[in-house]
Amino acid sequence: MLNVKEMLEELNASPYEEIEIRTPHTGVVEFVGLAPGDRVNGPSGKWLERPGTLLANLTREKNKKPICATQKGQVMDIRAELEGRFVEAGERLLTIRHFLSKEEVLGRILKKALHLFCAPERAKYYFVPEIDAKIKAGGEQSVKVREGLDMFIVSRMKRETPLSYSGPEGIIYAVYFQQGDNVDGGQPLIGVCPESQLTLIQDVVSRVQGEWEERD
Amino acid sequence: MARHTLLIANRGEIAMRILRACVTLGHDFVCVYTTADAQSGHVRLARELGGPDRLFRINSYQDPSEILAVADASQATAVHPGYGFFAEDFRFARRVVERQRPLIFIGPSWTLVRDLGDKINTKRIARAHSVPTIPGSDRPIYDEMEAVELAQTIFAFQQDQGIAEGCVLVKASAGGGGMGIEEVYDLDKFRSVYRRIRNYAKRNLSDEGVLIEQRIFDFNHLEVQVLAERGGKNAVHLGTRNCSVQSLGRQKRIEVAPGFDPASLTYAFDAAGVLDAITRHSVNMSLQVGYDNVGTWEWIVTPRGEPFLMEVNTRIQVENGVSGVTSRIQGRADGADGVDVIAEQIRLGLGEPLGYTQQNVSTTGVGIEYRILAEDPLDRFTPCLGRIEAFGWVAEPWLQVFTQVPTLQLGDEPYEIPMDFDPNLALGIVWGQSLDEARARGVEFLGGLVLQGTDTRGEPLRTNVDFLKNRTQTLLHF
Amino acid sequence: MDIDKRTQELAARLTYIRDIFGQRENASMAMLRTRLEEFLEQAPHLGMRELSRQVGMLEELFVLLEGKLESELTPMDRVRIVRHPQRICLKDILENVYDNYTEIGGQDEWSIDPGMLIARATIARRMGKKTVHQSVMVIGQEKGHGQEFRNAGSIKPWGNANALYYMRVAEIENIPIHSYVFTPGAFPVEDYPGAAQQISKNLYVMAGLKVPIISVFSEGGSGGAEAIALADKRLMLSHGYYSVISPEGAAAIEGGLKDKATPELIERCASRLRITAADNLELGFIDRVIQEPPLGARPEHYDFFRQLRREVIRATDEVVDSVDGLGPLRGMAIRRQAKAADPQDIFVRWSLGGGARTKLVDRRFEKFRAMSRTACRDNRSLGARIYSGLEGMLWSAHSTLRHDFLARYKRHLLHMLEALEAELRALRQGVGGPLGKFLGLGDGQQRRLEVPPEALERLTLLSCPEEGACRLEDTWVYVSPKSREDRTLTCPNTPTHGCLDLWGPDLFGEFAGVCSHCGHHFPMEFQWYLYNVFNFAQAYEFNSELESSNPLGYEGFDLKLEQAKRQTGLGSACITFETHIEGVTTVVAVLVSPFRGGTVGAAEGEKIIRAAERAMLKRTPFILYSHGTAGIRIQEGTCGVIQMPRVTMAVRRYIEAGGLYLVLYDTNSFAGPVASFLGCSAYQFAVRSSNIGFAGPGVIRETTGVEVPPKYHRAFSALSRGHIQGIWDRREIKKNLHQALLTMGGKNLYYR
Repeated sequence: MLNVKEMLEELNASPYEEIEIRTPHTGVVEFVGLAPGDRVNGPSGKWLERPGTLLANLTREKNKKPICATQKGQVMDIRAELEGRFVEAGERLLTIRHFLSKEEVLGRILKKALHLFCAPERAKYYFVPEIDAKIKAGGEQSVKVREGLDMFIVSRMKRETPLSYSGPEGIIYAVYFQQGDNVDGGQPLIGVCPESQLTLIQDVVSRVQGEWEERD
Repeated sequence: MARHTLLIANRGEIAMRILRACVTLGHDFVCVYTTADAQSGHVRLARELGGPDRLFRINSYQDPSEILAVADASQATAVHPGYGFFAEDFRFARRVVERQRPLIFIGPSWTLVRDLGDKINTKRIARAHSVPTIPGSDRPIYDEMEAVELAQTIFAFQQDQGIAEGCVLVKASAGGGGMGIEEVYDLDKFRSVYRRIRNYAKRNLSDEGVLIEQRIFDFNHLEVQVLAERGGKNAVHLGTRNCSVQSLGRQKRIEVAPGFDPASLTYAFDAAGVLDAITRHSVNMSLQVGYDNVGTWEWIVTPRGEPFLMEVNTRIQVENGVSGVTSRIQGRADGADGVDVIAEQIRLGLGEPLGYTQQNVSTTGVGIEYRILAEDPLDRFTPCLGRIEAFGWVAEPWLQVFTQVPTLQLGDEPYEIPMDFDPNLALGIVWGQSLDEARARGVEFLGGLVLQGTDTRGEPLRTNVDFLKNRTQTLLHF
Repeated sequence: MDIDKRTQELAARLTYIRDIFGQRENASMAMLRTRLEEFLEQAPHLGMRELSRQVGMLEELFVLLEGKLESELTPMDRVRIVRHPQRICLKDILENVYDNYTEIGGQDEWSIDPGMLIARATIARRMGKKTVHQSVMVIGQEKGHGQEFRNAGSIKPWGNANALYYMRVAEIENIPIHSYVFTPGAFPVEDYPGAAQQISKNLYVMAGLKVPIISVFSEGGSGGAEAIALADKRLMLSHGYYSVISPEGAAAIEGGLKDKATPELIERCASRLRITAADNLELGFIDRVIQEPPLGARPEHYDFFRQLRREVIRATDEVVDSVDGLGPLRGMAIRRQAKAADPQDIFVRWSLGGGARTKLVDRRFEKFRAMSRTACRDNRSLGARIYSGLEGMLWSAHSTLRHDFLARYKRHLLHMLEALEAELRALRQGVGGPLGKFLGLGDGQQRRLEVPPEALERLTLLSCPEEGACRLEDTWVYVSPKSREDRTLTCPNTPTHGCLDLWGPDLFGEFAGVCSHCGHHFPMEFQWYLYNVFNFAQAYEFNSELESSNPLGYEGFDLKLEQAKRQTGLGSACITFETHIEGVTTVVAVLVSPFRGGTVGAAEGEKIIRAAERAMLKRTPFILYSHGTAGIRIQEGTCGVIQMPRVTMAVRRYIEAGGLYLVLYDTNSFAGPVASFLGCSAYQFAVRSSNIGFAGPGVIRETTGVEVPPKYHRAFSALSRGHIQGIWDRREIKKNLHQALLTMGGKNLYYR
């Protein structure tokens, strides 16, 4: 059985996540005057169409690009020494401390509560067309899975092989990957909830909704 | 000679070979690598020979902006594209030389990269210079009547030649990668195939042009290695290679120089004559078009001994070493490994004159190159990913091995095969006085190779070593 | 009791005055207020008679001062009058102007669009002793004295579609249409059938509607008004406004969209835009003004309704008279229109005969064709004008001769020849088949194909050596100057498609501004299209002397116009020319985005009309390429708006004459033009990555409170909505256009 209370307490002890903002590619960095402790916002708008707070600009081949915050949070430390310098790709610029929201806490607890079906190897994963259509039409929770069901197409080195589900029967409660992105071996693809446990899961959801305090 | 800084816009073993050539020639180098590739041999070698300042982590090998941003940041003066990635990208070649801070592109002029990068164009250029090409159309056909007539003529031509089963190839001129291509064995079926291809092309490629060619079976795949200096006034060749041993996906696995060996094998045609013809045509065409760096003229030789030019590769190739190892330049102190084609390429790319003529070039012995990959020849050459736990070979004076994989013993930190690239592990080049000696040494090399690992499913890593050994013993030429 | 009611009424009148004059304090208003307050204070102490006397005096004072205030009304005050909940609305009119009516197409909130009211109404007229009930179709926006569900008369696309349907019904029934314009503007959502698209359909149909249309303007807000206002007679209430944009909207644009516009700026814009009835009468966009009581008509002004009734009857009579020749006496009576004679007493049959119906449409076209003529600058010399007039006549004669007269004979001859040839072929085949077999030529199995040497040569030698060895790269005639800059650009689709940065010279040169990874189209200069698509180097440009001007004397606009002319080297946002596209002669009009955002004013409208006329005369296809248009040029006020019906009518005439009218959208095309002459084409295509719609996302948010998704106006949305017919890659426009010219087109087009 799942001890929701304990998990919530554990999360309450460190209710944040540290997000490292790294350069997507090489270029010359220019900060915009943020200081540690400043608050930044993630993308907003109904369709997340407005980008988050500008953190820095990166100029490469005369093309100045903004680097924006991906999550709401607080700036932790800024590598000010990089100002005006050419940096390599993937260089850390600053860290944002992001306080977990209800959805995120829920996601974390669910990852422990659900049966996770993981990627067997690093590859790109897709749902088979029938399941993809079902998810698009009725949402993830409309799909029931059972042992041996052909669920995924694994694409690796331009070759595609089918992958079937193994684990308890149930409905897909969460999808953890983006179709077409690389997923490392061992990373969860989907979270399956056996129908018998559905009430328990719903209980977890309501408890988090009720008990988790969101902070800025 | 001015000291240059070359940015090596590539990875793996070719980056290592370029890097070594730079050191040999006394130039500086800059290497790039991606996070996934941090373990690769070229990163280790660059750190070893140049220190950490010579290394830049980039987002992708395929993003020209990354390469050029690093070039500017590191004050590089020239870019070497290696093979793959930007090697045959004329836009990259153009950008390198036409940007505000121009660099030298170690490769032919971008216009040549463009013109010879297109197979149809190459065919037309070849015909304009009387170089034989595969019988068929040399421009997209848009008219059905014309297409039918052409197909008819090709069938008749094959019949005249006594080819029992004539075959015509119909392909979308804008297509590639094996899509929109079909064989026709019967003139009556031609129209329907033609229409199918044309409709496919119209729908998917928005150009309904179709090419019609004779389909040739059981041909030998030969190559001529050409070296030409800037300005295109002087060119030589370094002999021929035979690349007929390929995987299912038409990927070369074994290359042998010279292309034919009339001394130890018998052919149904005048093999020496063919070799002479293709080298002559290649160098001739190179001079005619003003070709100005290393390049490879690819030929197919039919079972009747007719050579047809197929394409020109405007870059250094993987298998350049096998031509190098069998070539000698008179009056030069090249070692036992023969001519370093990559060093020659850099030299020529930076504008140095060739410094020798065809008379100074001689070929000697037989070289065989093996491409060792983590793939399963029994299962359609499917790539096999995983880690290498043990890797090593017996060093011999007649052997060169190029690899980005470190020498490993069981218990060492294993080497992960990066999944973003082809699972090339190593190139082994053996040399012998004769074909037989080279073959024997090849088998010896492959036999002594230690290569062990585990794939992602926990099973032993599969490689093509046995396939290579087997092909060495059975068939290297058709 | 009576006194109470009367004082209450006076208080209400005072409140109304305060509403109308807004913030402004005013002596008359102050006086009315103090007098009323004084009276209310004293009232309890006064006797009945005295009360009555004082109220009477107060009422007289109100009338007097209302008259005085009337003369102080600013344009913005009129806007407030029109928007006031006490303003008369369509239901009041139906009840008071017509003798009977039945609401159709919905009732109150149970309607597809409660803002659009449609009714069949009757007007009783005396004919001797008989009473004749004449039917009309009444269509108009209903504001319902501020009823929430009426949406202030802002009509949704389906409301306009419903109106259009009943206009067609009226046409079938051969009864006149009375339309009443009470709209601040259309509701700018793109849900099917789409705001812009539906308005353009309405305009297109109304341009050819074969029954008299009378429109009465109270609040004429731009495109929303035009959707029902393309009429044979356009009347306007004296306190109404008719404008290209709401004064607030104009102020928002003027003041830079970021900050909220100040009331002063709004006032200024309202007067600059010349939106009042008097202004519009002077500009010639309406035919008559109907005088309202001081400070505007409210439901209790029964005299006003009687007057309105007279005016609409008279207007309908006049229209019928102009095309259907009444008897001499009645005609004279109507024309003289002595105020004394109630038009109701003279009977005029409102259903038109066949000839009159066609004539009506012609008249309507002429009427609109003549509007806004002087609102642009014609720089041609007198000689040039005479010459162009003559040229037109010559062409007209030439084209009648060639396409109508000679063509008929030519066609006959061709048919005969074709038939003869077919006969001969049949003869040959019929005999040739068996004959050939008999001679043993057809035995396919054993035949050995002989390869003639020249055929063999074709297999191995260079074909078409005259073309050179290298096939020509696709090079563009015009290469963007942006391609000379060494810099890289980021494709906007990078986050979703992972496009790599593009190098400027590649992108704007060879790639023609198309992202090589995802196909996103970066905007290109209009010259790129002129030269690479429309073969402008060999084209003949005409009417370049027609230039945009500042017809309303809009403050500060002369300077901006000069600046636009200097920057683009053009006289207006429209270039018209005759050209050859792959050998097909076509007339092309281009709306140029850099010239004041490609906005359409009188000059642009006139140029497009003339281009359509030229295409009609020369019987060539007509292509309108919108390189980008932000809408109607607001600084030209109604001179701009009127281009919507004007150009639509011209285009319709061209299409009806058998022409092929093709529209191609690029970058951003919005508002008026899309809602009229662009949107009415049966063949509309878009260049990839373009946006098409009625109002931009910001305007939609402000006017309707609806948030639209980021890709709301994308061409692909327009395609799935059925607005456009296809989306073209920029590099293939020429090919696609040529194909369109070969596969579409009217019966009279001679382009093959």
